[in-house]
Order: sequence, then structure tokens, then C-alpha cells
Amino acid sequence: MAVLLGTGGALKEFVWLKNGIAAVPASEGYLLVDTKKCQGCLTCMLACSLAHEGEESLSLSRIQILQNPFEGYPDDLDISQCRQCVDPKCVEACPTEALFVDKENGNIRRIDERKCIGCESCIVACPYTPSRSSWDGIEEHALKCDLCLDTPYWNQAGGPGGKQACVELCPLGALMFTKEIPDQVGDMGYNVNLRGKGWKKLGFSVED
Amino acid sequence: MKGHMGKILRLDLTNRKISALETEQYELWIGGHGMGSAIFWDFVQDKAISGFDEQNIIIIMTSPLSGTLAPAASGRTEVQGIGVQASPIEWFTRGNFGGRFGPMMKFAGWDGIVIEGKADSPVWVDIRNEKVEFKSAKELWGLDTMQTQLQIWNEVCGGGRFGQWLPVGETAMGQRTTQRPAVLTIGPSGERKSRVGCLIHDAGNAVGQGGFGGIWGSKNLKAISVIGTKSIPVGNPGALLEARLQARKKFGFHVDYEKGERDPHDFMFWDRPEQARIQSCTGCYEGCRNRYESGIGNESQCVETFYSFYDRAKHGGKTTEAAFKATDSLQKYGVNAYEAWRGMEYLYKLYKMGVAGPGKEIDCKLPFDKMGETGFIEEFLRVMAYRDGVGDIFADGFYRAAQTWGRLDKDLKSGVLPYPYWGLPEHAYDPRGEVSWGYASILGDRDANEHDFNFLFWEPSRAIWEGKPLPYEAEWVTRIIAEKLAPYEGNPLMLDYSSENIYSDHLAKLSAWFRHYTRFWKQSALYCDYRWPDFIRKDTPDGRGTTGEGEPLYLSAVTGQDISFLEGMELGRKIWNLDNAIWTLQGRHRDMVHFADYIYEQPFKPSWPSAWLPGRKDGKWEYVRVDGRHLDKGKFEEFKTRYYKLEGWDAKTGWPEKETLKSLGLDYVAAVLADNDKLNRE
Repeated sequence: MAVLLGTGGALKEFVWLKNGIAAVPASEGYLLVDTKKCQGCLTCMLACSLAHEGEESLSLSRIQILQNPFEGYPDDLDISQCRQCVDPKCVEACPTEALFVDKENGNIRRIDERKCIGCESCIVACPYTPSRSSWDGIEEHALKCDLCLDTPYWNQAGGPGGKQACVELCPLGALMFTKEIPDQVGDMGYNVNLRGKGWKKLGFSVED
Repeated sequence: MKGHMGKILRLDLTNRKISALETEQYELWIGGHGMGSAIFWDFVQDKAISGFDEQNIIIIMTSPLSGTLAPAASGRTEVQGIGVQASPIEWFTRGNFGGRFGPMMKFAGWDGIVIEGKADSPVWVDIRNEKVEFKSAKELWGLDTMQTQLQIWNEVCGGGRFGQWLPVGETAMGQRTTQRPAVLTIGPSGERKSRVGCLIHDAGNAVGQGGFGGIWGSKNLKAISVIGTKSIPVGNPGALLEARLQARKKFGFHVDYEKGERDPHDFMFWDRPEQARIQSCTGCYEGCRNRYESGIGNESQCVETFYSFYDRAKHGGKTTEAAFKATDSLQKYGVNAYEAWRGMEYLYKLYKMGVAGPGKEIDCKLPFDKMGETGFIEEFLRVMAYRDGVGDIFADGFYRAAQTWGRLDKDLKSGVLPYPYWGLPEHAYDPRGEVSWGYASILGDRDANEHDFNFLFWEPSRAIWEGKPLPYEAEWVTRIIAEKLAPYEGNPLMLDYSSENIYSDHLAKLSAWFRHYTRFWKQSALYCDYRWPDFIRKDTPDGRGTTGEGEPLYLSAVTGQDISFLEGMELGRKIWNLDNAIWTLQGRHRDMVHFADYIYEQPFKPSWPSAWLPGRKDGKWEYVRVDGRHLDKGKFEEFKTRYYKLEGWDAKTGWPEKETLKSLGLDYVAAVLADNDKLNRE
């Protein structure tokens, strides 16, 4: 049951997990996307896997772009980024605290791969499809967006205080980092309108 | 070499056998076209066979850059084999397509695919990582390109459950994907062995030229599907990330959504609706096509949208759904857009001349009165795809159609049939104007379709038509580009398109540079034709683009090896020589290297108000007008001699000389030419 103190923005929110044992502070960083702006180039996915794993892989990317080339816009494309949920079911489900709230790094919900036993409880628990916690089938542990805190192959500092490879490299500016807690209900908090005057000048709709 | 997955898939259709080549065997060619030509050389003994011969092979090739962050160099895939579209010789030729097929091949563990033989009944190929199976295409044969892909997606990776993580491989504990399979398929046109049938991937990516669709049809191959979950090794990940970041921040490799600027001309001929997205191939920094609210015409651009002109003419200057539906049908039938466009244009002229029509000399019941509406184009494309009635003649291309109708010579003399080289339709950049394009085509195997210098026509010409200031001075732009034309750098006369200069050594050098650069950097390393070379950039302080530094930067970061721009150019020269050796064995001789008569005899009358290119007049650089002229056949003969000498080819025949081949490490090629009496005698 979530107990929200205050109204979003700068105030921290605390969540009591179902077991009533732990209080989980809200993340200090979130990825917002504009699925209407995205061009489906997968640069974010290739940047993510390269920065984290040192290789190019769609399966090891912690952000997923789903497309149907034959579908009508805007239903032809979806962006599935981790929401750094205020009420993180993945954290709650993890039996070893491998998936934990990193209080030293802006409370991001991330995976300590050394502790992961590969039970996939986090993958099952994620309420979103595709699950934002995903599976490394070679090294046999779970993967999740850590806002680029741990990117051994990238020379930029990441985490909530730093830069995210997907945001930095997106050639459209369809991804944005924010410290403000997005509306947790539905998609509107995370799928936002990043199209401005310039976009309108290109002749595209800037409607929500 | 990093960037390679290590294996090339061999599909023996005849025996339904799967095997693999080690990519390392062909590693010195790096990827794409170079590898394809080398494999073709080794695998096909009799190079003079028809494209429809069972012994013909088709090679589909990626590069180390495919599936990586290399900007506008990640999504393209090269396809080669003996084609069936060209005349009089079915040249060993190439096509190239975008989207996500090449990257997915890499993610499945394959650098390339070699298709050999002929299946005894329709098959499709199901590639899931290293697991490859031939499957019966009985249920797929007859479906259009969209229906085929939907069906395959459902079978391979969905059952309708897209959006979930699905396992690819034996167990759920293995690797997974959220992606749909990437499929390359033929439609009804290819199934009926049309010489202008193409291969289609997703909604709007196509291998247009060469008739590879018809060749697949003749091999009973309907489609190849690939899905993969593997990782592509990168030599220097940090360098690649940094390079891509700098490309965005310093060089303007992005869609300028702040200023609302992107490539000046929208790449679709229709008026684009607002409710659309920019859409791109994998890894591109500035997509050149769209997806629309209607879903009709998704991912198509340029000539694929050709009916827009007729639609507009019919509907008071406005785009209607007829334009989109026409493109949709074109892609679903899998018909080459250039043949459809130029062929339709030609047929319409014959109709207006009273030669074609119901009960006329060319009996054709198409509803010409509905030109510009769906009614006409739907019927035209349908009969062409299905070989229905007069469509049976259309299906082998309009050059052969003119031959069948006994009109070829006269229509090529007058230019009524706009097919200037190798029996292939003109692109819109007439050899009489933008000679570099025409030379590239006639000195090779096909309509070149390489836009490297094309902006030198578009940007000044547009400004002149619209009465706007010139984007840059001719002296400046030719000087900047000339700096980048290594190993011939520093010679702006290579870009002087004035009539006095177009047969010169300078244009011979431009032609050589053009062939070598495209053969390696664009068709082997797979830098996209629409975004490379990067000559000029308004985002940089001095206006210079990144060609020369850019191409080697990403290739070196991915491969972990230092491959310089010049090394790439030299490899391009080697590949070009290998191709010429193949054409020589196919029967090529300089005497056949000639444009259609109208190029020499008729003044160039473009469909736009005028055509301008940089040139010098009285020693001064300006934009010279190139419409209204024609080429001089005698001077073109002299040009060929200059060009052959520059390349180190025998001026009498156009065949590569022994010393040239030896200097390129192609002694084994020289030996075969000698055996066939095609090598210069000492």
C-alpha cells in the first residue's frame, strides 16, 4: 500500500511494501519518452547494450523499442523503458535483495548482478509488458535499467546525477531524463510530448 | 575481425542443405559487396550463365558496421548475383536495401547468406540464431509481401503475443527478444519470375533493381526470415560511443528538431500529412521516410511514391489517397518502382500517340482515362505483377516490351523510351546533364543510384527556380569537395560539368573516385547512400563535412583495426576490378559501352524548369546550365579511352590489364581471364 506524503516534485515519497517491513524512497531519476517522436532507429538500444556490456545487442538492452511496420501511426511503435516505479514490485519480489533500492545513488532500483540467483521473480513481478526487468541468457542473471550508473564501457558519469547513454545519443531528442516523479497511474506520466516549435516547423503534429 | 559474427550461411536449395562458411576466409574484403563479389568469383565457375540459371547464386551481405551505432551505416544490406533485368547482357549486379534485416542477421550470428541452387517446390527459410530450417512455402505462395510477413511473424515469434519477451532457441532460460523477425520476401511479381520483380522487407524496404525477385521465384524461394538474440563484438566500445556522441553534438548528426530543419527535400513526392512519424533504418541519425496514421505507404519514399505526380495532376494539385494506395500496391506486389514509373510513363506516351489502347497496335485495355486515380494504377500494377494479358509483356521490363512491340530502335532514338543504359530506366538524372551519374551507370552494370554528387544539381537548381539566394558559391563547394577526393585530392576540375570539360581526364578521375568510394565505403562497409559521403555540413564552423575522417572512424572503432580512408579507396579499386573481370567473362567489350541513341542525338529536356551544375566559364566558376545539351558520341569514345587508361584497363577492350590485376593481388583473376583469352597480350 502506497503512502504518499505531499504532492510530487521535490518532496520525497515513501512507499511501504506489501510485507510492511521496508519503506522504499522514491527514485531521484526517471526516463520519459515521446513515442510519437521516436523514429525507431534503435540507437538507444544499441547505446544501452554497448555502454553496459561492451557489445551491440537488442536482447541485452534495458530499453526496448517495439515496432509494427504495417501499423498506423502512432500505434506502430512503443517504447518500453523502466519506470523506476515509486512502488517497485520487482524490488519487493526479489528474494536476495539483488534487485534493490540504491540509497547511495539516488534510490535507483537496480540489480547487483553478483547477488542475482536467476530466479526471474523480478521479471514475473514487473507489471508492464514487456517486463522492464529482463534476462541475460548467456550470463544467466536479470538486467534492468540503472540510469547508466554502471556503464563500464562509457566514459561519462551516469546515474541520477549524471548522463544516460540513450538520452545523450538519441538523434531525435525523444528521450528525456527528469528528477520529478511522474504520475504513476497509466502511461501519461512517462509518455510525454517532447515535440516543440521546431517539430511543428518540420510539418509534423505537436499534439499530445 | 570485431564486428563480424564469424559465419556466412550457405543455403543449398537443391538439396535443402544448410552449411556455413567461415567469414575469416573472406575477411580481407571487410564485408558487403567486396565479400559478395569474392564469394561469387569462387562459387560460380561459368560466369556467362543467365541469371535464371540454377547455378546462379545470390549473396546477401552485411558489414562489421551492421547492427552497431555507426551513424547511417548500420541498417543497409547488400545483395548480389547475376541479374535478369539488364540488356543485352544480364550483368552480375547488385542491389541494396535498408530497414533492419542486416542487423538482425548479425544478431542471429550470420555475416551473410549465400543462396544456391533451386528448390523443387516453394520454400521459405526460418533462421533463429544458429537454427536454420527450410520450410514449405505452400501456404505462403500467392500471398503479397505484407501478408507473407504477417504470417511468418505469427509462426516464428508471436502467435499474436507481441510485446512480450519470447525465447529464441530451445529453452525459455536461453536468450529472448521482444522483436519481430526480419523478413525478406517476394510477392506475386517475383513468384512469376518477373525480370523486374523485387525483394521486399517490412513495409517499404526493397532490393529494387536486378530482378532478384524473379530469380528467387525461379528458385522457388518465397522468403527468408531471421530472428536473433546474440551480441555483436565491438573493438573499441568507448570510442564508438564517443564518436557517435560527437557526431550528434559537434557535427549535426541528428534531426534538428530545435530549428525545425532537416534535409531540404522531403524524400516523398506526396504532401505529407501531419499525423506521421519520421522513421528510419537501424542506427540512422536522420530517417528519410515516414509511417502514417493510415498505415498506407509506410516506409516508402522517393520513386516508390511516383504516382504522387499523377495524383496531383488529376486532383487540382492536391495529394489524395490514390498516391498512397499506389505505393502500397507496388510494395505488396513487389514490383520495381523505376520500371513501374518509367514504364507507365512510356505506355502513357504510346497511348497519347494512338499506338497503345483498346484495339490499337498495342492492344491494351487499361483505363487510361483514370490516370492519376487508383483505378488506373491498381490495374496497371496488377496486370504487371500477375502477367495478366499485356501485363505479361510489362513483367519483363519495358525495354524488352519495346523490343517485342518492334519499337525499340525508334523509341530509343527519339527518347520516347527513357532507358539510357543497359536496357534500364533513367533515374531522373539524365546522362546528358549530370554526367557523373550517367558515366557511373554505363561504366558499370546498372543505373548507379548513387547520390554522392547529386546535391550539386539539386541545391543550386532549386534556388534558381525559386529565385532564392544560392546555398553556396560554385567555387567554394567544388573546392571543399575536391579536398576530400583522395587519392585525387585538390583538383576541383573534377567537378566542372561544363560541356568543354565533361570528356576530360578530370571527369575520368571523378568517375574512378566515384566507383572506388561507392564500391568500398558504401557498398562494402555499407555507409548509406542517402547520408554519405558527408561532403558539406552547415552545422560545422567551416561548412566541411566529415567524409575522409568519419568513415574510417566508425569502422576502426567497430573492427578494432585501423583502416584508413585511402586503404578503403584502394580496396574499392580492387573490388571494382574484380567486378570488371566478372563482366569481362560475361562478354563485356568497350564497343557495347554506349548510351542509347537519344543521349547523343536529342537535347536534354528535363521535367523541371532547368538543370544547373557547377562548371567553369571563361576560367571562372559558376553554375552552368546543363539542360538543352546532348553528349557527343565521338568525344565519349575518347573519354572512355581516358578512363580505361586511368584504371589500367586495356583501351581497346575495356578489360582489366594483367599488371593492374597483379598490383591489386588479383593474380588468380588474371589467370582465369588469360585462360579465357581475355587478357592483354604482352
